[in-house]
Amino acid sequence: MEFQKEVEIRAPREKVWRFIWDVDRFIACVPGCKEAKTIEEGKRYAATMVEKVGPFKVEFPTNIEVLEREEMTRIKAQASGADNKIGSRMKLDLDVNLRDEGDKTVLGFVAGVDILGKLAALGHGIIKRKADQVLDEFAQAVKKQLEGDS
Amino acid sequence: MLRRFRLEEPESVSEVSELLGRFGDSAKIYAGGTELLLAMKEGLVQYERLINVKKLKCKDVTLESGQVTIGALCTHHELETSQAIKENLPAFAKLEHNVANVRVRQVGTIGGNLCFAEPHADPGTLLIALDAKMIAEKSASTREISAEKFFIDAFETALEPDEVLTQIVIPAPTASARNAYLKFGYLERPSVGVAVAFNLNGQISSMRIAVGCAGPAPRRVQEAEALFEGKSKDDAERNLAEAGLLAGRAAEAISDLHGSQEYKEHIVGVLLKRAFLSALS
Repeated sequence: MEFQKEVEIRAPREKVWRFIWDVDRFIACVPGCKEAKTIEEGKRYAATMVEKVGPFKVEFPTNIEVLEREEMTRIKAQASGADNKIGSRMKLDLDVNLRDEGDKTVLGFVAGVDILGKLAALGHGIIKRKADQVLDEFAQAVKKQLEGDS
Repeated sequence: MLRRFRLEEPESVSEVSELLGRFGDSAKIYAGGTELLLAMKEGLVQYERLINVKKLKCKDVTLESGQVTIGALCTHHELETSQAIKENLPAFAKLEHNVANVRVRQVGTIGGNLCFAEPHADPGTLLIALDAKMIAEKSASTREISAEKFFIDAFETALEPDEVLTQIVIPAPTASARNAYLKFGYLERPSVGVAVAFNLNGQISSMRIAVGCAGPAPRRVQEAEALFEGKSKDDAERNLAEAGLLAGRAAEAISDLHGSQEYKEHIVGVLLKRAFLSALS
């Protein structure tokens, strides 16, 4: 499943870039993300992702690895996790990019999400919809965080 | 494999509600078990406690004061064979007759079907078109939820965590009432279901159209209803193609194994036309 989103933020690019690397503030914007910690500054992180569709709950302890970093412009990262209770795995390829548009910054991301295992029994349509909702909420939360304190 | 769980056997709705409140997400109501036990065996959900509600007295179908009241614990088989349902709501009896297979219909309950809110289930769609009300009870209160507002999303309903669905109340159709439900699919569960309900007194009134299975939850498609309201039978028939397009777009269809979004939108239009003509005949 691939998702593309862009969010326009009334804040300078530098501020958005700094925000992305402020793990605590950034993680607070990811719905269902808890217990985030830095393993190696700028490179490796760990977090637990909790998501719910009706009675179906998943908890993925997730490792996040930053693969490429182009200062103030782009980050390429990969995340993967497994919920052994349910017998499902999640893999996320994330490409984040930043560009100026007038006095605003456009934060864009392309996410490739793979869900494997029993959770897939819920159906592609339901999972895609849920992932879409999560990304939308995330984009709005980032916008609110950055515009709120400008 | 099914993991160990504790079975509670309350005898009243308030006991069920109290247990739900006390144990929260670690407990779940168990009625027919046709959906729940499958999900548990697959390991998709785990509960420490199942609350068996079969001892509750919610198993009757009654016709009183112009409304049909269905106990939430009625099985699909009881509904497909109920005289009161067959006489007053033949479209609903037919729908129940076509739910899944005979093994599921023997044990699966209407309440369990509605509360599990599996996106490809049939009954919710027709109940929305028939303007049914769900009766939700808990220890100290009872409230009515319209079928239209009952389904929130895939596997999610408007019930509060400690509420129990006890009855479904459907206005008994009058002599001028027409309704129908049609579904189509090529897998075990339907890809699309469409229900229509209206009154015909020379012209069409109180038109209600609902679409299910296509998206995450059944929904009323008011966008298409206006094309029928106040129209004669012939004028309405001329509007069927346009209404089908509107209903398809409004159905919030999603692409999945049961078909692409575009395919489902097309089938909504086809079924709407057929359901309308079937309701007239």
